[in-house]
Amino acid sequence: MTRLLLVILAGAICGGLAHLGWFAAHRPARADDLDAELGWIQESLQLSPDQFARIKALHEQSRPRMLELASELAQMRREFAQFKHAQEAEDIDFVEFARFVEKRRAVDRECLESTRQLVLAASGVMDDEQRERYRTLLAPALHVSDKARLD
Amino acid sequence: MTPSPDPLDDLVKRWGENAPPLPASVRPEVWRRVARAEAAPLKAGWLARLEADFARPAFAGAFIAACTLLGLFLAEVRLSRLHAQRDAQLARSYLTLVDPLFADAAARPRPNSPHS
Repeated sequence: MTRLLLVILAGAICGGLAHLGWFAAHRPARADDLDAELGWIQESLQLSPDQFARIKALHEQSRPRMLELASELAQMRREFAQFKHAQEAEDIDFVEFARFVEKRRAVDRECLESTRQLVLAASGVMDDEQRERYRTLLAPALHVSDKARLD
Repeated sequence: MTPSPDPLDDLVKRWGENAPPLPASVRPEVWRRVARAEAAPLKAGWLARLEADFARPAFAGAFIAACTLLGLFLAEVRLSRLHAQRDAQLARSYLTLVDPLFADAAARPRPNSPHS
């Protein structure tokens, strides 16, 4: 009986150790920076080292402007919330709001243009098959008009 | 060559014909005892057989190897799920990187924009 229990215990220990060891050795690193994102793109699209280097350079080049635009959009989101609040209080400055809408449209256009340029430049580095897969990956973000322009 | 008839055969035959009838409770009692006698060794035999199997080094080794493989398989299932989640997160993160409007739409409490 003791031998039976010992063998079962040894099996449980070996199974547990194998599970934890394998999991720890192959667990993906928790990284949300540009390198991790580009590493994911490289893996998904099977980019060559040369392609990867060029695409990385393109993203690094466009990143400051993208971050600036994202910050601007966040600021405008806060302003919009204030306008909503003013509208509820029936104290809205319509001239100011019209300016805001105009500015927002300009920022949206600039965002679309920046994204389009980056995607086009990155697509230019890829072959046809990679480009197709890249567009599939970008589908949730790409606007229909942009997709049409890319074709 | 046929064997000579045994004189006891006639006696046994005659005794069987004139045997007194059995009480009604005898037959169920016999079957109950038979069932009990068969069940007890079976139960003991199951555990004994298991112990005997585990006492064999080859069987014990195979059992431990099977446990190890099961542990690896379960780890791979967990890893597969984790990779899928991470890929989805990286995809969102990348889309946010290349399209500030995507990030804005994700952060916006309402889907409609001010100019729509």
